[in-house]
Amino acid sequence: MSEASLPRTEPSAALPRTKSRRRTSSLRRIFAIARKESLHVQRDPQALYLALGMPIMLLLLFGYGVSFDMDELPVVLVDEDATPESRALSDAVFASGELRIAGTARSADAAHQIFADRDANAVLVLPRGLSESIARGEPVEVQLLVDGVEANSAAQLQGKAEAAVRAASLSLGATPAMAMSPPTETRLSTWFNPEERSQLFLVPGLAAYILAIVAVLLTALTVSREWDRSSIQQLFVTPVRTWEIVMGKLLPYFTLGVIAELIVFVTGAWVFDVPMRGDPIVLGLASLLFLLGMLGQGMLISIVAKNQMVATQMATMVSMLPSMLLSGFMFPIENMPLPLQVISNVVPARYFIHTLRGVLLRGNGFAEVWFDLLMLGGFAFVMFTIATRRFKRELA
Amino acid sequence: MTKSIVVEGLGRRFGDFVAVRDVSFHVQKGEIFGYLGANGAGKSTTIRMLSGLLAPSSGHARVAGHDISKAPDKVKASIGYMSQKFSLYLDLTVRENLEFFGGIYGRWGRALDRRVEETLESIGMRELASTSTAALPGGLRQRLALGSALFHQPPIVFLDEPTAGVDPASRREFWKLIRGISSAGTTVFVTTHYMDEAEYCARIGLMVAGTLVALDTPAALKKQWVPGRILRLEGQGLVRALPAVRGLGGVVEAQSFGNGVHVRFDPARTGDEAIVASVRALPAVAVHSVEAVEANLEDVFLAAADAKAEKAIRGAA
Repeated sequence: MSEASLPRTEPSAALPRTKSRRRTSSLRRIFAIARKESLHVQRDPQALYLALGMPIMLLLLFGYGVSFDMDELPVVLVDEDATPESRALSDAVFASGELRIAGTARSADAAHQIFADRDANAVLVLPRGLSESIARGEPVEVQLLVDGVEANSAAQLQGKAEAAVRAASLSLGATPAMAMSPPTETRLSTWFNPEERSQLFLVPGLAAYILAIVAVLLTALTVSREWDRSSIQQLFVTPVRTWEIVMGKLLPYFTLGVIAELIVFVTGAWVFDVPMRGDPIVLGLASLLFLLGMLGQGMLISIVAKNQMVATQMATMVSMLPSMLLSGFMFPIENMPLPLQVISNVVPARYFIHTLRGVLLRGNGFAEVWFDLLMLGGFAFVMFTIATRRFKRELA
Repeated sequence: MTKSIVVEGLGRRFGDFVAVRDVSFHVQKGEIFGYLGANGAGKSTTIRMLSGLLAPSSGHARVAGHDISKAPDKVKASIGYMSQKFSLYLDLTVRENLEFFGGIYGRWGRALDRRVEETLESIGMRELASTSTAALPGGLRQRLALGSALFHQPPIVFLDEPTAGVDPASRREFWKLIRGISSAGTTVFVTTHYMDEAEYCARIGLMVAGTLVALDTPAALKKQWVPGRILRLEGQGLVRALPAVRGLGGVVEAQSFGNGVHVRFDPARTGDEAIVASVRALPAVAVHSVEAVEANLEDVFLAAADAKAEKAIRGAA
């Protein structure tokens, strides 16, 4: 290393005076940060797996495994009567395939052991004297014991068993006591999702959830990582501005977010036949606004948290959980207690999911979703404003 | 000579705590200016103010001709900064780190490429350009950090504890670089707690508890704060005899130092032979070797810190 080749000291160029030159160097700085940030992502492929692998995995998991519809619910049959009539009743109950005989037992006393072993979620008891009751035209009483631990299964089981028993006993000419005979008959007509497939309902919600995870979690780490490494100090003695750092850091994650979103929609349409009944432009706009809001939230978390661990926890608390629980993704907002309903108003996933379901399934357009778009845009704006302000203040 | 940095009455308080109190000094163009002080003495706070990171609560300063309060952005554009903690990106290669800092300062395209090559050459890391920064030993990382700080050819560079935790050989190499950039006209403002490094500085400012207590060349500081002549004695029973040594006529101070003792005396009142003879005459003492040594900056630093503490106590009483 020769001293002659050391950096020459020319007075460095004064800051560009004209507006256009200032804008050019601003773009260069943003680009330099974006490039560095994408190098970080490339060098740490975990982030890439998270961004691109997780959407596919979650989608398949939820789409196939976590279906809310249940078929072939296992039921243990206890036929104490053991007559042709009771057999005919049980045959009719299990004929539809919604309930499945998981085994038989001598008496209802076995139920406790059956639930403990998790052999079945329910025990259907056809009591002794059933055939005589039918013959005498008296109301028939059958007993259904349900394992209430699995609350969701229990509710579905109860409904399905009730309906099956009622239908079966009617067809046998018996008077069921378990269910009241309806005074009028209800005819059900389900619109937009006639087969009542829960995938159609889930995929839009999942799109929001995945985007929330990818965008918030990834960005939440980006500034906090600089605090952790103390490289933030180095950044701030350069002429780079806070908003340029925010923009530069967001560019790569924005791209990842868009890709993740496309993966969700394509997989949804391709694997689960989710229709696209509305305007794709509305869909794109909503996705964009939601993505920006999530990136802004992640950025704010990252700036406030100052270390990666706290940032991850905050991201989980304020973004992932609300996006899953308070957005209407899994649980209807109308059924929540009032305080949670109020909180859900500031969960952007709520508006995004509402828009997605509307556009994908009902064919909604701007006229129906403008309020959602407004809320999403507002959220993004507020997040970025606070993030940039906080960033400036944290440093002073 | 032109002044690169002019500081007048600069102060900064955080709530009730005064981190820097009424500091004034100036640094010449191309000078290596050392800033010494214990942790929390206000060194980093001063650097942060001078590099436009932190607004002063009082006083003002001009760096490269720009007022730090009024034009912090212009200040930032004309300085390089290297912090005590290694703050490059470990997952990036050497070249990528340099390219990033180049981009941040608005370098672009061919000009950026050329400057990357120049910098790699100047810090002697051309062969390591594609190496991951994480794989570099501490000394090379510091050199790369220096290269990044100098990438945009700033007239002034702030080095905040640049060699903390680096082995002695690398530190010497590093200081060779620093002297090189200084002789090329770049002003170097450096904080360190290695006293041997402080000797390389043209002038030194001593910070004690937020106040600049002394500022001068290393030689002048030693003369002022550690006056007298120092003899280094090695032998037996010396440490136990220190109280007696301190009582000898003309002795200013006596301290154990390594495996010997340092005796400082006023040459106007006594001489080398008289001192050695008096020490030899003490009971149970044997002197095997005698050597005249120079005061070091550590002595200066301790003397200055003591004086300040004494003043504080007297002020409080």
